[in-house]
This record gives sequence, C-alpha cells and structure tokens, in this order.
Amino acid sequence: MKIAVCIKHAVDESELKMDPGGSPMITGAAGKMGTFDKNAVEEAVRLKSSGGGDVTIFTVGPADARKSMKEGLAMGGDRGVLVTADPVRIDSLSVAGLLAKAVQRDGSFDLIICSEGSSDVYTGQVPPMLAELLGFAYFGYAKKLEVSGSRIRVERSLEESVEVVEAPLPAVVSVVSEINEPRYPTLIQIMQAAKKPLEEVPPSALGVETAPKVVVRSMSGQGSNRKKVMLDGTPEEAAAKLVDALRAEGVIPR
Amino acid sequence: MPLFLEEHRQLLSFNYPGRGDLVEALESVAGFLEDKVMPMATKFDQHAAKIEETRKELLRQGVCQMPFPKELEGLGLPFGAYALAIELTGAADAGIALSIAIHNTAAEGILQFGSEGQKRKYVPDIVAGRKVASFALTEPTSGSDAKAMGTKAARDGEGFVLNGSKAFITNAGEADVYFVFAATPKGPSSFIVEGSNPGLSFGEDLPKLGMRGSRTSEVRFSDCRVPAESLVGEEGMGFEYAKKMLNGSRIVMGSLCVGIAQAAFEKSIEYARSRKAFGSAISEFQLIREKVADMKTGITAGRLLCLHAARVRESGADFGSEAAQAKVFSTEMSLRVCDSAIQVFGGYGYTTDDVHRHWRDARLLTIGEGTSEVLRMLIARRELARSL
Repeated sequence: MKIAVCIKHAVDESELKMDPGGSPMITGAAGKMGTFDKNAVEEAVRLKSSGGGDVTIFTVGPADARKSMKEGLAMGGDRGVLVTADPVRIDSLSVAGLLAKAVQRDGSFDLIICSEGSSDVYTGQVPPMLAELLGFAYFGYAKKLEVSGSRIRVERSLEESVEVVEAPLPAVVSVVSEINEPRYPTLIQIMQAAKKPLEEVPPSALGVETAPKVVVRSMSGQGSNRKKVMLDGTPEEAAAKLVDALRAEGVIPR
Repeated sequence: MPLFLEEHRQLLSFNYPGRGDLVEALESVAGFLEDKVMPMATKFDQHAAKIEETRKELLRQGVCQMPFPKELEGLGLPFGAYALAIELTGAADAGIALSIAIHNTAAEGILQFGSEGQKRKYVPDIVAGRKVASFALTEPTSGSDAKAMGTKAARDGEGFVLNGSKAFITNAGEADVYFVFAATPKGPSSFIVEGSNPGLSFGEDLPKLGMRGSRTSEVRFSDCRVPAESLVGEEGMGFEYAKKMLNGSRIVMGSLCVGIAQAAFEKSIEYARSRKAFGSAISEFQLIREKVADMKTGITAGRLLCLHAARVRESGADFGSEAAQAKVFSTEMSLRVCDSAIQVFGGYGYTTDDVHRHWRDARLLTIGEGTSEVLRMLIARRELARSL
C-alpha cells in the first residue's frame, strides 16, 4: 500500500512570544512538527509495518521544515517531499493545492493521512480540501483505521458519538490524537533518516497559483479573566457550595 | 523547562562543525527526557516509582550507544556529544543519569580491555540496553585505596572462585552483568560476572541522601565460580584498567553535575522573577543577581571543562588530569549552585523536594568516582612531575 502523510512544520507554541500589542510574533518563531501530525505519521508507519508498503511524507513549508521532515523520516517514513513555500504567506486552499499536485506528481497513493488540525492555527481545512482536489473519499477525526484489501474502515470520533464508516480506497483521512501514541525515534533511526531521500520542490514546478484568496489581517491573543472564587467551610460545606456554584455557572446540569 | 539550550547548539557547532546530526541527536534526546524522564524525577526521589521501565526506554533511545563503535551496535559519535547527552539526562533526573553512566562505564571497560569474544558477547547488549551493567570496585574498607581490595579470586581448575564483597555499587541487584575487580596472587584483576551467578548476593537498597532513583547496595561473592574466559585482559592489570575506566567516567560525572546545576539554576531564576519582596521581584535585588551571575558562570565553566576533557580524550592523548579537573570543578560548582538555589527559594528551598533534591543528588559526586581530594592529588602530581 502506498501511503502519504501530510504534515505541517508548525510554530512551536511553547516558544511563541507576543508583541506588546498582544499579537503572536509568528515570523522568526521556532518551528516543530505539529503535535497531531506525529499521530498521522505514527499511524502510517503502523499500517506499513502490519500490511507492508511505503510511506511518503509531504509538507508545504519553509526551508526550516526540513527538521520536521527528518523527524518524520526517523519515525519510519521512507521518503519526503518538501514543497518550499511559507504557509504563513499563503492560505489553506493554496497549501491543499500544492499538496494535491505534489501527491499526484508522485504517483497513485492508496491512502493519505493528515492530522485533525495543525497545532498552531488549527483550521483543520487542508485535509477536506485535499480530498476534494484529489477526488478522494474523506473521513475526518479518525480514532481508528483498518485497511483490508482495497477497503478502509474508519471509526470517527465525533463530539458525542462514534461513527463507523467504510469505503473503497483511495481516501484522505484526518486522525485525532487518541488514535495512537507516537513513537520517539531512536538515535539510530535519527542517524539513518539523514540518508533517506528528501526532495525539495518549488511551487513553480507544480503549477499552482498561490496568491491567497483568504488573507489574515490580524491575529491577536485573547485575554481571559478568572473569577477567583474562594469557598470556605468544612470539606462537606465547601463541596456543596462548589456544586451550587458550578450549577449556577451552567458547568454541570441543574 | 527546555533541556537543550542555545549554548549546547553553539558548543556543538563550534566543536564539531558540519555535524548537524549531533544537534538533531541531542535535541531528540532532550525531547524524550522532557516528556518521559523529567516528570518522573520527584517520584524517583521519593521512592514513589522505580526507574527500571523508564531506564529501559531511555537506553532503547540510544544514549548509551553514542560513543561506541558501530560494529558493536554503537553510533560512533564523539565522546563530547555523549557527555552532553549525560548532562541533559542529569538535568532531567540525576539518579537515572548515574545509573546509565555507570552502566556504560562497564561497557567501556569491556571495549577497552576485553577479548574480541567478550566485546561481541556483551558490548552490543549493554549499549543497546538489552542488558543492564554495573561496575564493582569499591569495598567496605577500600575506596580510593583500591589496591587494598579484600575480594579475592582464586584459581579453581579452569576458572576462578571469587569471595568477598563490594560496597556502594550502583545498579547492584538490577544488573545482568557486573564488571568486578578481585585480587589474584598476581594482583587486582578484572572479571565479568553474570547477574544470574548463584554465588552472587546483594544487600538492601541503601537509603541515600540523593540519587534515589538508582539502586545502590552491597554485592557479595560467596564461592562465586566464573569460567576462565570471564577474566578481562591480563591477570594483575585490574588496577590499571580501573584507573583508565574511571578517567572517562569522571568526564561524564562532571557533565552529569553540570546538568544538575543547570536544572537548579533554571528553577532559581524562574522563582526569583516571580517572588516579590519589599515591593519588587527578588530578581531585582543585587545580592540575588550576584547569585544568578555566579551560578551561570560556574555552569558554563564546568560545561566547557568537561567538553575540553572529552575533546582531549577524542584526540587520543592522555586525559587523566583534564578529566580530574573537569570533575573536581563541576561537582563542587554544582554543589555551590544547588546551595544557592536553596537560598534563592528561602524556606521553600529547604522544604521542597524538587529544589533540595538537586543539592542532595550533586552531593554524591565529590565522593564517588574519585573523591575531590584524590583528584586534586592526581592533578597536582602531573603538574609537579612536568620537567621545567
């Protein structure tokens, strides 16, 4: 089975700094592989080890995204394709367009795995757009994947229910973090990943128009004020007051 | 608390230009330590969790493979990069760092002095973490004066019979392989003893001041029979081997202490910035700033001394004095830094495990692997023996 994984070299939110106006300083911020993208790579590598095949990792990102690509290769990807464009400057549709062309250029994939959303902006738009552009079936929010023959069975984690669906391949699937626990590549795997093929493709080679249709005008942090309510009394009294307070706030049903 | 810092990146690029792979390797080790080891550190310290599983995972990551040759399942990476990896491990949890460092000292002894058969049989399993190893030199009545060892190995047909005991042995009772020193009529000699040997027994896990994640106990040999092929190298050469093994180990112990100091330092500056007194953060006060400056300077100096000793070792030159300097300075620096950390935290420093454990952990290492006194003796001896 030929599996593609689309990842994002996301902004490392733990190192993100805010400017004095409360906007995150995206330009020049440190990047890392999106947290949920590791679940996508892990799932692909597991499918490969149980059913055979190969795993190609795709991304649209700046030169620095090589770091995330190498991590994906160390986790078990066989080769990588980095489309060299900065996702900050283009929109989700352009990213999906570039990924679709890159995937098509590389041959016929049976399965494309993405994560539910990037760990920085988390729009979750690219996977369904990619499916539409490729004309593949799309399943979002998968918490379990099974491939048998040319069919895929997906358990979708919806807010209050689980939906089980089946379809013929090819398909695009976005996975949620509960699907697996991503592995840590060992040092040997990291050293070996340096020798795996990692191709860089300029957007011009794919013939995709990347002028954004959606432009982000501003992005700002949202402050939140805590209510800081102190409850006193014996543990029993305090617990009763807490239950009343949570009911009054609508946190638990009345 | 991020473990891999800009100064690590700089040191790697200055010392190993063009080796971006070393940065990637250490970043990956740091990520693993932050996620899997650091959150366990206070639990290990309070005996609320055992280190075995975490140590197994850490060994599987490949930290101990770093300095060993590829043909023995090592990664063939420079010793300096390995020392930095142990520094990061020490910052995450000193007890587990001690356990894996001693484990690797045993593998180093087999690599340097063992036969081809011994190397193939033990080194890959130890460095890849399939077996845990231990190093047994110190005895109840002989520490620095290792030549006075009372553990004896008598010839018995084709093999040897060991009798005696070893004290304060890290990984004792948990290890699969022991690198043991015992005296034959020709003098101190070294042997590989398998953990399953029925002649081996172990004392209780000693209640220690620090490094509580690692197990430390007595190792007893009663009519412990080993085959002739467990003798490592030449009979009577054990003391020379021990000295050489300890030289490398001392660099690593220095690095471990740099890591301990770094962890205590990071906590101190975070606290100093948030704690208010007399209307401002205590980090605004000059006497706190003096501590911050001295702590940081000491850490950087220790890190550089350890890396310098590692670089001399990599060059193939004698590095005994450099290793001793790195260890004396870094272990004593670490104690000062951890003491300052307690002072910065005030009452909270004295009463919070997660602050004072760093001082308790560091306290071992002006004693273990060569006391500060013996190491100063070694450093001075080389300088005074130089021809004018």
